[in-house]
Amino acid sequence: MFKVSTEELKEKAYRIRRDLIELHFKAGSGHLDTSLSLVEIWLALVYSDFFQFNPKDGAWAGRDRIFLSEGHACPLQYLVNADLGYTTRDAVFAGFRRPFTPFQGHTQRDLKCGLENSNGSLGNGIWQAYGQALVTDRNVFCIAGDGEYEEPSSLGLLFAPHLVKPAPNFTLIINSNRLAQDDVVNLGPVDKVAEIYDWQVQRVNGHDFNALGNAYHQAVADTKRPSLIICDTIKGRGGDPALMGKLGYHGRPPKNEKEYQAHLAGLEASRRS
Amino acid sequence: MTTETYGSESLREAFGAALVEAGKVYGDLHVLDAGTKNSTMSELFQKVYPDRFHTPGINEPGMVGLATGMAMAGKRVVACDMSVFLHHAYDHIRTAARQGAGVHLVIAASHTGIAVGPDGGSAHDITDLTRMRLVPEFTVVAPWDGNQVRVAVQVILAKPGYYYLRLNRPKVPIFLKDPAPFEIGRAYRLREGSRVTIIAVGDKVFNALEAADQLGERFADVIGVATLEPLDESVIVESAARTSRVVTVEDHMFIGGLYEAVAGLLAAKRPTPMRRVSLDRVFTTSGEPDELALIYKLDTASLVNVCREFVGSS
Repeated sequence: MFKVSTEELKEKAYRIRRDLIELHFKAGSGHLDTSLSLVEIWLALVYSDFFQFNPKDGAWAGRDRIFLSEGHACPLQYLVNADLGYTTRDAVFAGFRRPFTPFQGHTQRDLKCGLENSNGSLGNGIWQAYGQALVTDRNVFCIAGDGEYEEPSSLGLLFAPHLVKPAPNFTLIINSNRLAQDDVVNLGPVDKVAEIYDWQVQRVNGHDFNALGNAYHQAVADTKRPSLIICDTIKGRGGDPALMGKLGYHGRPPKNEKEYQAHLAGLEASRRS
Repeated sequence: MTTETYGSESLREAFGAALVEAGKVYGDLHVLDAGTKNSTMSELFQKVYPDRFHTPGINEPGMVGLATGMAMAGKRVVACDMSVFLHHAYDHIRTAARQGAGVHLVIAASHTGIAVGPDGGSAHDITDLTRMRLVPEFTVVAPWDGNQVRVAVQVILAKPGYYYLRLNRPKVPIFLKDPAPFEIGRAYRLREGSRVTIIAVGDKVFNALEAADQLGERFADVIGVATLEPLDESVIVESAARTSRVVTVEDHMFIGGLYEAVAGLLAAKRPTPMRRVSLDRVFTTSGEPDELALIYKLDTASLVNVCREFVGSS
């Protein structure tokens, strides 16, 4: 199912979480908790055996595409792309949230670095991704947040198979960590709406590599319908357990050595469990 | 002296026909519309190339998002709508412009200005030029007649970039010989005069020529602007330096449109007294286009009066 073993994926997840914590501590800003909730979702996708990419030629026409619509999760995107060979970990650490680097505070399109789309407001990227799916035969994945689904523009995309046409090569991945910036999020019957509008709908544990891998394979196997995968996740997963799944830490990096160490201790504890 | 015309045609009809021609040349041209294809005339393209026409229904943000994604895949893409509804899509337009080099996206807006007529203030988009000037990367194109629309469509589909194309609803005189002049970033001196410079954009260029004819031989220098961004600075500054008086004319609110673009330029390069023939910061009313032009003083006679008073007072 994957290009590497599940054990290797877990080790990568650990290292990337460690880097995410350090990266945000050093930068002094950024959305650590969102990135932490997405680690397994992203790694399972790029390490799925079907997933095509070429880090030496980021614009390669044969690549499968990942649009990031909840752009504040870009630090994870940068670090996964470094792992894949598009860039280096050092370049990400040197450039994150600094002037005129490829590693801005929200993603700026740069195919060389494996960055498929510049982010805008929530609800923008999903439509771009669907449009791209309509004119390419490659797989197009789009990662969106559950808070993003409060935007009417996002809900409207669920009608796309009817209003535009079905794009069976399109998979929408909703990271459902149930927490937005200032309040809890309830996706409500989004899954039921999607079913009515002819999406293949799956709901999985977004921290379970095998469940995610199976869901991605199911999605790309459907040649008639676009796919929606709702991934249940925990915001801040693998960081400071006192903050995990709690409201109020969106966009709040570790501010001092004590908070930084609390995140690292949480990471070590979660690795042992 | 009178300005010769060659019949009349709406800018949107010329646009629809130009899209069909471009569809023959470019197999990768895709066109989208959000429920107004028989207003923007994108339906002409749909009839010939149904597989390259897309619509998400009455959903402007969705249309611009889809169009952007297609353009990011390397296609030539034109997204069309009645201008006022593109307010909905402004956020998506801004995000589109942030996708970097190599993307080829045209936003085409029909039904701009008070020329829309009886549908009234809710349908008159009189701030579109301002909005599009505010988005970096966009070239802002406002052709003068159907012949220039045809050339402009060819030019903007030939080279990747982000383009806004301003069209409008009613039939307007064709006064440029085919092929019409059009280059990105170039304004054209259409009449030579020494007393006042009239700078016009879009279909108001015809009014500027009529006004110059009425003002008499070598009275008004007339400059036609077809790309507001980038603006041809040298032609405007040179003319202002010779006449020392500049009048702008546009079917658009004065804030952020041609008037302020020229004023900003001249303030920096060649401070020059100015007058404007444009809309105030108001919501406009229903009426036939010619009737509204009289009400809001965008007609040729009003332009002539403004020029005469301006020259007489200084």
